[in-house]
Amino acid sequence: MAGQNKMEEIFEQTLLYDFYGELLTEHQKSIYEDVVLNDMSLTEVAENYAISRQAVSDLMKRIHKLLKGYEAKLHLVEKFTCAKGKLKEIQSETNALSKDYKSLKEQDSIHIDKRLKKIQALADAVLEDF
Amino acid sequence: MAVKIRLKRMGKKKAPFYRVVVADARSPRDGRFIEEIGTYDPNIEPSAIKIDADAAKKWLNNGAQPTDTVAKLLKVAGIEK
Repeated sequence: MAGQNKMEEIFEQTLLYDFYGELLTEHQKSIYEDVVLNDMSLTEVAENYAISRQAVSDLMKRIHKLLKGYEAKLHLVEKFTCAKGKLKEIQSETNALSKDYKSLKEQDSIHIDKRLKKIQALADAVLEDF
Repeated sequence: MAVKIRLKRMGKKKAPFYRVVVADARSPRDGRFIEEIGTYDPNIEPSAIKIDADAAKKWLNNGAQPTDTVAKLLKVAGIEK
C-alpha cells in the first residue's frame, strides 16, 4: 500500500534523526524537526524561517543525504532494528515458557517465573541502552 | 483561521510514536494543539493506527486540512469525509 510506505518513511527518518541528529547543525536540526517530527509542509517551514521553499527543499535533501551517509558507514539504525527484533523474540519465548510453567507445582513456578522476569528485564535494558 | 490535521512525534528516543492532532496552522513549534484525534505506532508489527473516525470526519467537514502524511494515514484507516 502506498500510504503505508509513506508512513514507514517517516518512521525511518525519525530513527535516523534520533541516532545521528546530534551531528547536524542547529539550523539543520530545527528544519528537519519541523518537517519530519512536526509534519509541517515545506511552504510552512519556508514562511517561518523567511527563506524560499526551494531552499527548504534543498536543505532537506542535503540533510537526508547526510543522515543516510552516516547510516551507510555506521549502520546504527540497522543494528538497533536487528537487536530489537531478537529481543522481541526473547520476550515472546520467555512469555511462552512462563505460561508452560504455570501448570507446575506452585513453588517451582514462582522460582522460574522470577528468573524469566529477570531475563525480560535484561532484554528491555539492552534495548534501552542503545 | 486555518486548521490543520498533522502528525506529531511523541515517544522516547528511538521508539517514536505519533499523535494525530488538530492544530491551528500558525501553532508554534512547541506544539499547542486543539484536539488529539488518534495515534500511529510503528513500533509494533504491523503498525497500529487508531483514529477516532467521528472526530476526524467532523474536522474534515469543518474544513480542516490534513497534511499529506495524515491524508495517507486516514486512507489506510478507511476514513473519508
